[in-house]
Order: sequence, then C-alpha cells, then structure tokens
Amino acid sequence: MTLIRRISTLGAAGLLGAAALLAGCATPAHKAAATDAEYLLTVTRPGLLHVIDMKTDRIARSCEVPGKFGSGALVPAPDGRHAFVLGNLWEDVYGFELETCKLVFSARQSEGDVTVKTVQSLAVSADGSELYTVQNPVRRGADRFEVLPPRLAVYRIADGLDAKPVRSFPVKRRITKIAATAGGEVILGGADVEAIDVRSGALRTVSALASWERGPRWLTPDAFAMHSQGEHLNEYVMPYVTAKFADDKQDMASAQWWWGMSRVDLATGKAETREIFPFEFVIFSLLADPRDRNILYGAFNTLSKHDIAKRETLKVVELDHTYYSLQLSRDASRIYVGGAGSTISIHDSATLEKIGMIQLPGDMSTADVRVAYKRHESR
Amino acid sequence: MNKEKSITSIVGAGLLALAAAVGVPAPAAAADGAALLAANCLSCHSALGSTISRVEGQRKSPEGWQMTITRMQEQHGAKISPQDKRALIKYLADTRGLAPTEAAPWRYLLEHDNNRVEALDDTYKDMCARCHSGARFALQRRSEGEWSLLMHSHIGLNPTLEFHSLARDRAWFQHAVGEIAPALARDFALDAKAWTAWQAAPRVTLAGSWRITGYLPGKGEFEGRMTASAAGEDRFELRLEGRYADGGALAGSGVATVYTGYEWRGSVDIDGVALRQVLAADARATTMKGRQHLAASRRVGGELVAVRESAAPRLVAVMPGHLRRGETAELTLVGSGLDGAVSLGSGVRVLEVVARSADRVVVRARAEGGDGLRDVAVGAARGKGLLAVYERVARVDVEPANAIARVGGPGDAQMEKVGVAYRALGWAAGRDGKAGTADDLRLGYLPVQWSIEAADEEAEKARDQDFVGRIGADGVFVPGDAGPNPARPKSLGNTGRVKVVAAVGEAGERVEGRGSLDVAVPDFVQRALD
Repeated sequence: MTLIRRISTLGAAGLLGAAALLAGCATPAHKAAATDAEYLLTVTRPGLLHVIDMKTDRIARSCEVPGKFGSGALVPAPDGRHAFVLGNLWEDVYGFELETCKLVFSARQSEGDVTVKTVQSLAVSADGSELYTVQNPVRRGADRFEVLPPRLAVYRIADGLDAKPVRSFPVKRRITKIAATAGGEVILGGADVEAIDVRSGALRTVSALASWERGPRWLTPDAFAMHSQGEHLNEYVMPYVTAKFADDKQDMASAQWWWGMSRVDLATGKAETREIFPFEFVIFSLLADPRDRNILYGAFNTLSKHDIAKRETLKVVELDHTYYSLQLSRDASRIYVGGAGSTISIHDSATLEKIGMIQLPGDMSTADVRVAYKRHESR
Repeated sequence: MNKEKSITSIVGAGLLALAAAVGVPAPAAAADGAALLAANCLSCHSALGSTISRVEGQRKSPEGWQMTITRMQEQHGAKISPQDKRALIKYLADTRGLAPTEAAPWRYLLEHDNNRVEALDDTYKDMCARCHSGARFALQRRSEGEWSLLMHSHIGLNPTLEFHSLARDRAWFQHAVGEIAPALARDFALDAKAWTAWQAAPRVTLAGSWRITGYLPGKGEFEGRMTASAAGEDRFELRLEGRYADGGALAGSGVATVYTGYEWRGSVDIDGVALRQVLAADARATTMKGRQHLAASRRVGGELVAVRESAAPRLVAVMPGHLRRGETAELTLVGSGLDGAVSLGSGVRVLEVVARSADRVVVRARAEGGDGLRDVAVGAARGKGLLAVYERVARVDVEPANAIARVGGPGDAQMEKVGVAYRALGWAAGRDGKAGTADDLRLGYLPVQWSIEAADEEAEKARDQDFVGRIGADGVFVPGDAGPNPARPKSLGNTGRVKVVAAVGEAGERVEGRGSLDVAVPDFVQRALD
C-alpha cells in the first residue's frame, strides 16, 4: 500500500526550464555512427535513467529524469538512440537522447483538476514518430472524485517539450503494457489483448483471455504483465496463468496449472495464444531466445529456461533476491535480470549460471530493463 | 519478570486512538456542531441546510468520522484545529452515527481486536475485504449515491487498485459502481429504523460507579471499581482502583467521552501504563462491554466489563472461574454490597473464608460432584453459572486462533513491532466425554505453557520458528526485527508462518491447543480503523 499511498499524495513537480527547447530533436531515422551501440536501459530512484554499455556492462551515463519517481517504465525508440521514461508519480513522460542525456520530449498528462495516471503503458510507433500512452484520468472535484474513461493518447514526438496529445481514443480499463505494430496499431494488454488502430481508434480483439470461451474445464486466465517481454523479436508477450480441471466441478486441488501466453507478432499484429509449460513457480517476465523462439526465459525469485515446443521447464536456478524483468544481449548469450533492487544480475543463457553483476546507485523498484539498439526489422 | 516491560515492549503507533486527553477542552455542544461544520468544510463542500454535501448521505462510527476528517487534512489540505476536529467528530457521531444494533456485529474493529477471520458475504470478500476489513465498511451507512462516490474515491486515491490480483480478473470499477454500491446501499442503508429509534430514545448518563472486571496482557485478570464523574456534556473524569488476580493493587485515573449516546472512549493511566478503553453501553446504561488496550500498541489488550453499581447487592465474577474436582483452591468472589453466606453450588465446599469485604470475598474451596457450571451466591447476591467444576481439561483453544504479527524496528526510523497477546481457553469434555463437541464445558482461561512451532513443512524448511520472534510465559508474542536477515535464504526478513502452542497438564494428561500466526511485514499505513 505504500506505493499507492505515495502516488496518491500528489505534488507539483518542477518541470521544464524554458531553455530546454527542442533544438535538433531527433526524429526517426538516425544514421550511421551509433547504429551498433547496444545499451541496457533502466531507471532508479530518485529519478535517473541509466544508459549501460553492454560491451563493458558499465554505466556509460545517467540522465536525470525531472520530477518525482514514476514507475520506472521506459521504452526505447526504434532508432536505438532515444528512450522515453514514465516519471512523476506515473503521470509525465520524458524523452531523452541517450548519447547526451538531452531532454528532447516531455508530456505532462495531468491537467487542471484531472489527474492522469499511466500504468506502464508506453509505446513508440514503428517509424519512431509517435508516442502512445494509455491514460487513466480521474477528475478531482471540490468534494468528490469522478473516475473518467481511459483513453489512448497519441503524441507527436517531434512536438518536443510540453507536448499535448494530437489524438485520443477510448480504450478499456486496466491496461498495462502496450506495443506498436508495424501496421499502425497499438497492442493493448488488459483483461484481453486488444489492438487499436491509431488513426481511427477502431478496436479489435487480438487474444480473448478474460473473455475466452473454453467452457468449465478451464479456469479464466489471470493475464498480467508489467514489463516488456519481446521487442528484440518484434513481438509482444502477455503471459497468463490458467488451470485445467479434471471435470466440470472445477476442483482446484486436482487441477493442472499452466503458464500460457498470448504472443503477438508486431509485424503482422497476429497472435498465437496457448499454454506453454506447467505452472510450478511465479514468473514475472518471460522472454524468448532469438536463436530458437521455442526457448523462453523467466524471472522472479528464480531464473528459468523453458522449451515451449515440448511444454517443459528445462532448468531453474535460484536468484539472490526477487527480480521483475529480464533482457538478453543482442547475441542472446547473456541474460540481464533486473528490477526490485539495485543490482542487475547477469547470467549465461546456456547454463543460467551467474556470470556478472551491475551495481546501480539506487533502487529500480518496478522499473523496466530494456535494450536499445537500432531496430533494422522495424524499418 | 517485569510485567510492565513485557507489555509495553510491543509498542506500536497509538496516536490514532480516539480518546480524550487530559487537559483538552470539552467538545462544543451539538448546537455549535453545525456552525463548526460550516466554518471548517464549506471551502470545498456545499451547504445543505444544517449539513453539507457528502456528509448528508453518510452515517458512521466516531472512528469512521475521525478517518474522514484525517483524510481531508492529509489528502485534501483541510486546515482543522485539534479542538475543532474533536468537536466535529463528536457532532458527526452524535447526529450521523450508528445505532447500537448497527454497530454490534462489527465492534471488534472499533476495539482493534482484529485478529479474527471475518464473517462476510461473498459479495464483499474479494471486492472489499481483500484490502481492508469488512467491518470498515459495515460500520458505515450511506445512500447509494454515496456508496457509488466511494468507489470513485477508491480509484482516485488508489489508482493501481484495479490492477491487483483478485481485482484484475473482473471489470473492477464497473462491478464496484454497478453492483457493489447498490448491494451496500441495500445491506448498509442510510435510512434505518434502528437509527431513528435510537435517536429518539432517552439518553441515560454514564456517570456513576462501575464494578469492572477484565484482563491485561502481562498483568492478568483484574477486578476493581471505576468511578465516572460528569465533567461536561458526555464527558467524564475517571478514577480506577482494584486488584489483579495475583493480589497486586491497581490504581489509575483518566477521562472518557461518550459518542452517539453509548460509545464510550476512555483514556486512562493505570499504574503508569497508558491505556485506551473502547466500550459500548447497553440501552439502559447498566452494563458497558468492550476492550481495553495499550495506548502504545492497540493490538495488545483484553476484555473489559463494567457493571453499574446500585444499592442492590450484586455478584459479577468468580476469579478464577474454574475449580478442579478434588482440588482445594482459593477463589475470589467479586461484586458490590456482598454480605451473607457464601454458596458455591452443589458439591463445592467452602473450607474457609480467607477475607471479605462488601466488594470481594476470598474463600478456600474444594469441589466434588460432576462436571458442570455452578451457581454462586453471597447472601442475596447471586450469579448463575459463575463457577465451572471439572475433572480434567480436555481441550485448549488458543485465542486468537488466527493472528497476524508484524516485524518492526530496530531504530526510530522503522515501524514499531506489532505483537499478539495470547490466552488459552480451557474446556472439559462434557457429558459425551468427547472434546470438541457441542456439549463441551467452558472452563475459562487457564495458565498454560506457551511455545511456537513451524506452521507446516515449508515453514519448517525455512526454520520460520527460529526467526519470527518469541512468545513469553505470559502469552505475549513479540515479533522479530524488520529488514533483511542475511542468515536467511535471499536475505528474507524475519517474516514467517508458525503455530502458537498452548500446553496444559502433566505428561500423560497433556492437552495442547494451536493457533495460526503469520508474522508479516510492517503495515506502513496507519489508520484509525484497519
């Protein structure tokens, strides 16, 4: 409850100096020099975006995120040179040039008596021109709160500092992670996985999860994701937990428990939804190996490796504390496990053996760990 | 053993207890209440006759109103002086409170006797009691519009609420507004005959002389007298004197305020220990029942019963309330105006009157005859079933059966530890000779040997019982320190799951009872009602 209490005690955040104008702000296609740079990005309290060089596993630079800590949610732009951070109690978005820490974009979502919270929902369009957030507004009247319908907000990144949404469309409640497809949709991770057309606002169901109709032999899945789990493969992963009952009586004790996932191909916007391996322990984030898309890694209290073609767990190792998210080096040889503390634990992806550690100057809390490099496939 | 130390070492935040402090001016009379409401609240609320927007659709306990005003101060910037706050709580509880029958099923929350599994309608279990007690909303009455606005406040104040496990499996907000608010408006309606009747009922002052009995962890059972002298409208100065079961004297003083005509909130100092009383008077104001707890740690306390004294002789308790057949023991008969022959019921012989006064008679007695409750009398003062005679203890219930303690400290920057005060309730088997059946004979609380053990295999593997804390001979469990413990896997804190074991009797006759104890992380949010 402390986090909830903290984010509910709103305060005005000192925002942007007038001097911080958008001179030379990068828009999509960034060229040459930095193409091969590979950065691990994360955020720590009280408000630093760390740019970690994955060749040396050292912090190259740390960019100051204005205002109070957000959730640490962040999204790299497809150019590999910019990233956007959710700051100020889950309300504001700040965009940085990673080579210089220059603040090139900001959007203050709350306005007047309407407080807007974004629960991890940040995405950048495949062409790098637009930023998407899911806004959860609440009007704070003189003597009452009024919950307003949530919406997808579309920002033009080139608008730079103090940007305002250029379009917005209604969406369902309780959306967390989102991702942009190549075809002009944003995948919305909520009770079901949906896609919204960012021009028309048209919604379609990508994977029916909470509303699946599998009958009484299957437990309605608990689908939830806080962190990105697939951009290196241009995919969006929404894990879920379900149970298969022996009969229609739905006896939990004799049920078979399964992990499943909705796996959305961001090139096509199509999803594959199925059970992937037995539920034996909690996993907070799942990530596929680019060398074999049937091999998945999972992290929380353990780091695990699974073969979803065989629906098997291959290996599990204990971690030294709880972690929330994980990423792979570009060559997939190393797993970086982060969140929920001030250390990023580095593991050999073949053996899951711990091979290194990055000590950060603060707590990552619920922050994302993301990898930024130029996305050739998104061109 | 230093008993005071043992009870006060489990300190927690006690600042939230709603009790009048010595030296604070008496709250304003009801006539001033409406003016205070206008003066303090109209910068945001709108006037509606003698009341204001939002308030007009609600009724609640004094602590409920305290929470509301505290939230206005902490979340919405209301500037309200401590005197005005006290007066507003009094005015709102008096004019927009709960009838005694409305509060009765949920009094445990007002008493901070929270270590229990609540009996709640399924409708409210996941939707409401996932985060807070069921009693918290059951101690409120609202119009449907107000219940609905409460759902809006929930999202406004706790934006991640609908993302939690057991919330995200449904359209939480739509369900809350569309179905839960109407259900609450039906089950906990603003307009109720009970409230109308209670408002019309004549008020009886609670001033007078009260014979009190109760229990304080680390101290034991006590009996005494509490004198309440009127010191303003619904306000009393208190003097207490009496003795503990071990013969030690008890003396104290304090103040009390009565809300809504029956909600007694006392603030007393007994032998240097600050305590709070949360009692409810019955309709005729002849008995008050409730709980007294440490001001510094509201989880640590015990029952308190006050019986009004009158000219008529009265017997209120026998301490202890059980006597084993074939054994000789000393019993104290507690009452007022006690005069005349002592009778302990069939088969129980008074061997000697050790001491006697109008307040108490101490006897040495020996029991014969079958298991059962005996009626007790001292002259004209009679008490039905005050003494249980038994042959053997067949069952021990650990109370509370389910509890949560919280690690805390060390150091000022940390949250204080929240402990649990245990007692063991003994039972004889009853006529069927089987323990655990409906005819078991309640013997009262027994002295036992206390210990803890792992709750199950998993807890045993993690050696939870070695880390979570210790239980003293007096039944007070003191949890371990907060923070990571490098001696545990993953530097897990000193949290864990254990069973609390109460054992009585010699080898061969040994009887054990078990309670479930979860030792959890600190609760960082402090509130008047959990």
